[in-house]
Amino acid sequence: MLMVTVKLFGTLRIDSGVKELRMEAGSVRELIPLVCRELRRQRPDCAVSEKDLRACLVAVNGVRVGARSRLRDGDVAAFFPTAAGG
Amino acid sequence: MTTYCGYMGRVILLDLGERRAEDYVWTDRDRELYIGGKAMASRILYDRLTGKETAFDPENLIVIATGPLTGTGAPSSNRFDISSLSPLTGITASSNCGGNFGHYLKKAGFDALIIRGKCDSPTWVEIENGEFHFHDAAALWGLKTAETQEALQKALDAAHGKSVRCGMVAIGPAGENLVRYASVISGERAAGRAGMGAVFGSKNLKAITAAGDAVPTVFDREKAAAHRKKWVAAIRSHPLTGRQLPKLGTAGLVSSMQLHGLLATRNYAGGQFDAFEAVSGEALAEELTLSNSGCLSCPIRCARRVSVDGREVKGPELETLGLLGGNLENADLEKICRWNYELDELGMDTISTAGTLAWAMEANEKGLWKNGLAFGETDDLSQVFEDIAHRHGIGNELAEGSKRLSEKYGGRDFAIQSKGMELAAYEPRRAVGQGLGYAVANRGGCHLNGGYLVVLEGLGLDVNGQTPRGKADFCMLQQDLMEAISMGGQCLFTSYGLLPAFLLKNPNGALTKTVNAVIPFFGPAVRLLNKLPELACFNLPLLPYPYELRYTTGMKMNIGKFIRCGERSYNVERAVNARFGVSAESDKLPKRLTDIPQDPKRPDTRVPLEQMKKTYYRARGWEKNGLPSEKKLRRLGIC
Repeated sequence: MLMVTVKLFGTLRIDSGVKELRMEAGSVRELIPLVCRELRRQRPDCAVSEKDLRACLVAVNGVRVGARSRLRDGDVAAFFPTAAGG
Repeated sequence: MTTYCGYMGRVILLDLGERRAEDYVWTDRDRELYIGGKAMASRILYDRLTGKETAFDPENLIVIATGPLTGTGAPSSNRFDISSLSPLTGITASSNCGGNFGHYLKKAGFDALIIRGKCDSPTWVEIENGEFHFHDAAALWGLKTAETQEALQKALDAAHGKSVRCGMVAIGPAGENLVRYASVISGERAAGRAGMGAVFGSKNLKAITAAGDAVPTVFDREKAAAHRKKWVAAIRSHPLTGRQLPKLGTAGLVSSMQLHGLLATRNYAGGQFDAFEAVSGEALAEELTLSNSGCLSCPIRCARRVSVDGREVKGPELETLGLLGGNLENADLEKICRWNYELDELGMDTISTAGTLAWAMEANEKGLWKNGLAFGETDDLSQVFEDIAHRHGIGNELAEGSKRLSEKYGGRDFAIQSKGMELAAYEPRRAVGQGLGYAVANRGGCHLNGGYLVVLEGLGLDVNGQTPRGKADFCMLQQDLMEAISMGGQCLFTSYGLLPAFLLKNPNGALTKTVNAVIPFFGPAVRLLNKLPELACFNLPLLPYPYELRYTTGMKMNIGKFIRCGERSYNVERAVNARFGVSAESDKLPKRLTDIPQDPKRPDTRVPLEQMKKTYYRARGWEKNGLPSEKKLRRLGIC
């Protein structure tokens, strides 16, 4: 399996209290339930759901990607909830 | 006097030289056309300024205006506005503030204050229950803004023999020394932009306090209360105004801007800062935020409280994080919090200070002006800020702003300003509609006065940021709506609650993607609404502002009239600026943003400004010279 770094941003990070995870996954789609499970494991009271993660914009190594995007070993996948208002 | 509720019914013209206050005629017809706030101020400046004045002339006016909703308990309605000829741009400008001065100005019995003339010596003015008192400010001159306000509070308490609840506006050393981007501070909030503090300083006006017992009335209390209850509930349940802004503040945008290539970096050389995480809203929340706070009557509470040297102070906003962060290649968040506090204390706009510094760093690097400043070398910036505020050494030159400096030393192509005002932190080459807004904005490089199209182009919705299609029409609509919201005295952040939550909660869904794809093609429909807003002669819960004005003031307000009021405001400000030389030639951006693609491999990552400007002027019904014709002004009831 491929080891990727997952970074959480915005309210996702504030709600989960988790900044970064290391996961094994081959695609963004595959990653989402794994991230959710890991968040629950680390923080049993964590309210972040798979739906919340699917509702994020995702960037891999700083480039926007879709859910079907494949991951490579060492990739950094970042999850950004929609934000506005400055 | 007025037959409308919400207003105090009095506007005062205060002559500082003669130390005299007289009532200024402001009729109910004026209230119907201009509502209040910056629109009211623009109309007053239109009536009083000839085009021959300069910012530091005693004849220049300062208009401090509230809206009819200010002080009535309407959601986020604590805003007030300071308008004047700007020493930074040479044209009229307004600066909006969330401090409590507006609330107390109304308690003192006034909707607005027009200030002309100049005091012979440093002075502060006390307004109390309809009366004006002039006090010597020699002992306050030189004090920073917090010290000044503390001293004023003590003086008022001592004079009245009790603790006086009041609102204040004050300037710091930057305003006294005529730094062209000096701010006015109210509590801890700033009327930051356009150098209003320097206009105060030029008039030897250190501060104004306001106190009183008057209370604005509400036309239909029952309906207003029911409407506000629903509105506040909607604000609190919305993903932006109920979650993101309270939890992360505006700082929460840093990460999203990075994602979209919108985060101004290295004097706008690019839109992504490698070390963005260190200066993000998330880092601010995790490492330095003590709590969040808000203005009076605001359910959003977007402000941050942070600790600087063991003292709890206001935290930095997005613009400050972006421009004192990546734009200077600085990744030290604690420094930004400290600078934010220091700049407020000195009374200086964080945006223009940072924009001018970024230009100076690049000018130094390119050998145009040897000043010792360099990207990433920020240990001495606190001293530079002091030097600017006191006009010492290079600070004396930096106090002039990037436009004047680039005219003197060269480097206009990378002086990131429009009409003399430094741009906010949104890099517009990935959001070209925002670029159009920066260029055409009445007060210069302002993200909000420009229409804030970036909310469609990546931050909020995800419309293609590179296409110019439809952007001019949406730019006009959003500018007019924001003008209208501001007139009532409400915060523009309430408008983020208008974005459909189901789209924001599911940005990857088919419906959201379809909406994002088709929005640019809705330009013609938006143009029809812009042209004939009267077609919308009704109200819808989607747009709560006309209801609020109706229930609070008793005015017959609907969506169409509301938008038309916004359009009138934008046009009257443009018309007075035309007297000071503004035209299509003034609506420009530096070549870095219009001619150099942000991504060298993608020629479309630049702002196609000339193309969009033509469409924008047509949408506005303006002449090719970028100005409203007399016919247009007549149609809007301006002349």
